[in-house]
Amino acid sequence: MIRMFHVYKNYPNKIQALRDINIHIKKGEFVFLVGPTGAGKSTFLKLIYRGIVPTKGQVIVDGINIARLKSGYIPYLRRNIGIVFQDFKLLYNRTVYENVSFGLKAIGATNFEIRQQVNKVLNLVGLEHKRKIKPHLLSGGEQQKLCIARAIANEPLILLTDEPTGNLDPYTSWEIMKLLFHINIRGTTIIMASHDKLMIDKAKKRVVRLERGRIIEDTQRGTY
Amino acid sequence: MIFENMGFYFREALLSFKRSTLMSMATILSITTILIIVGVFLLISTNSSLFLKNIESQLEIIVYLEDNISQAEINNLKSNIASIDGIKEVKFVSKEEAYQRLLKDLGEQKDILSAIEKNPLPSSLEIQVKDPKVIEQIANRITEFKKVEEVEYGREIAEKLLNFTYVFRRAGMLVLALLVFASILIISNIIKITVYARRNEIEIMSLSGATSWFIKWPFIIEGFLQGFISSLFSIIILYNFYIFAVDKVHQAIPFLPLVVDNMDLLPIGIAIVLLGSLVGILGSMFSVGKYINV
Ligand SMILES: Nc1ncnc2c1ncn2[C@@H]1O[C@H](COP(=O)(O)OP(=O)(O)O)[C@@H](O)[C@H]1O
Ligand SMILES: [Mg+2]
Repeated sequence: MIRMFHVYKNYPNKIQALRDINIHIKKGEFVFLVGPTGAGKSTFLKLIYRGIVPTKGQVIVDGINIARLKSGYIPYLRRNIGIVFQDFKLLYNRTVYENVSFGLKAIGATNFEIRQQVNKVLNLVGLEHKRKIKPHLLSGGEQQKLCIARAIANEPLILLTDEPTGNLDPYTSWEIMKLLFHINIRGTTIIMASHDKLMIDKAKKRVVRLERGRIIEDTQRGTY
Repeated sequence: MIFENMGFYFREALLSFKRSTLMSMATILSITTILIIVGVFLLISTNSSLFLKNIESQLEIIVYLEDNISQAEINNLKSNIASIDGIKEVKFVSKEEAYQRLLKDLGEQKDILSAIEKNPLPSSLEIQVKDPKVIEQIANRITEFKKVEEVEYGREIAEKLLNFTYVFRRAGMLVLALLVFASILIISNIIKITVYARRNEIEIMSLSGATSWFIKWPFIIEGFLQGFISSLFSIIILYNFYIFAVDKVHQAIPFLPLVVDNMDLLPIGIAIVLLGSLVGILGSMFSVGKYINV
């Protein structure tokens, strides 16, 4: 599903955020991306949804070389990828329901499809009874669930989550984790950048460790 | 694809108006102000141009005729002159008419003439040309006709006037260009602010996989509406202000030529609508582009 060959990413300020990354993530896998702040986790995720292009090397997502992707096709790549951001990126002047429907409208779904999908994912994350309220009235965990609902509304092949439990208590974090496992079992490939030692140890999934832009460890059923 | 979704685009644009009423009103107010400034300048320059044309059209060639000229020769000369390129009008002024004009001009002092027995004034042809630039050329040609005593056209005044109007028009054009350029910058910056306020939505749409045109359309419509509504407001304000001003000026200087025909004012209205709407459209298109693709 995702392959990287000798990928380097330098930012304009000469920071080498990623160096010689080689990886193969198969369809349906669940991968933790761990490492200290500044290791390059967010940069790794950005390459996959083509928020940035690699300075050197190849990034192949679902058979598509993202560096060579013409900008007109980027939207179609992104329809296969759901993203959950560290900082939520919710629209606080729209309701819970509208936050999910907004992205579906943006890709031209019909009203019928939108209603069906929004109800489905809000049920899945347990927010169906809060559909009419604005996100600022939700707790942190609920806002994160809303972000997940929005990210999977389109049933993407890949779900990228950037430290989704970073600001949550252990109980809520585990709830979010269970939700992600559930989504993973339905076939979605998930990459999750995280610091959360407790959860990673408990999850027993593949762990890819980044340090100063390099992969220094890649273990199946790993620990933090 | 584009037209299928037009309903959605319009709804989004109107929704955004509704969601941020204050912002939209501030935007419209600012654009209206800029357009009024441009409009005032356009009104002033249209009127100056009419004024100059008026002065220019008063430039004429006077052809004094020899006293022994016959009526047939007059008619012949008249039609010969009329057939020259660029002549607007040729008018014959007889000796008698010239005398009456002089009497009228002298008014109370007309007794001066009683000392003279015979009418000393020559008959003449008064010629108006279409373009004052060729007045000298035409005057020179007429000098060569028979029975022409003298040709007069106020050479120095004509030259000075033509020089002045040339410089004045060029300067006006330059100021207009600068003003339009400045207003394009200002309006597109105002639009940029409204787009900036919604950069999160743009980013989310872009990350959800919306095509860039899908993202741009609601903003283009919103930018168009903001520009268009502002131009209507500024036209209404300018028009009322102008009617009022013309009235005041005419009270003070009754014969000053001013543009009052609505058909002559129409181009100014069209220019304002185009400026407002086009800059609204292009401004939002380019500003949105900056937030797409993160
Ligand atoms: N847009 C950017 N411009 C310049 N430097 C950046 C940018 N984004 C990230 N970096 C730098 O790249 C390195 C890796 O950042 P990031 O991928 O965000 O790490 P992580 O997510 O693991 O904390 C850091 O040193 C960071 O300062
Ligand atoms: Mg990060």
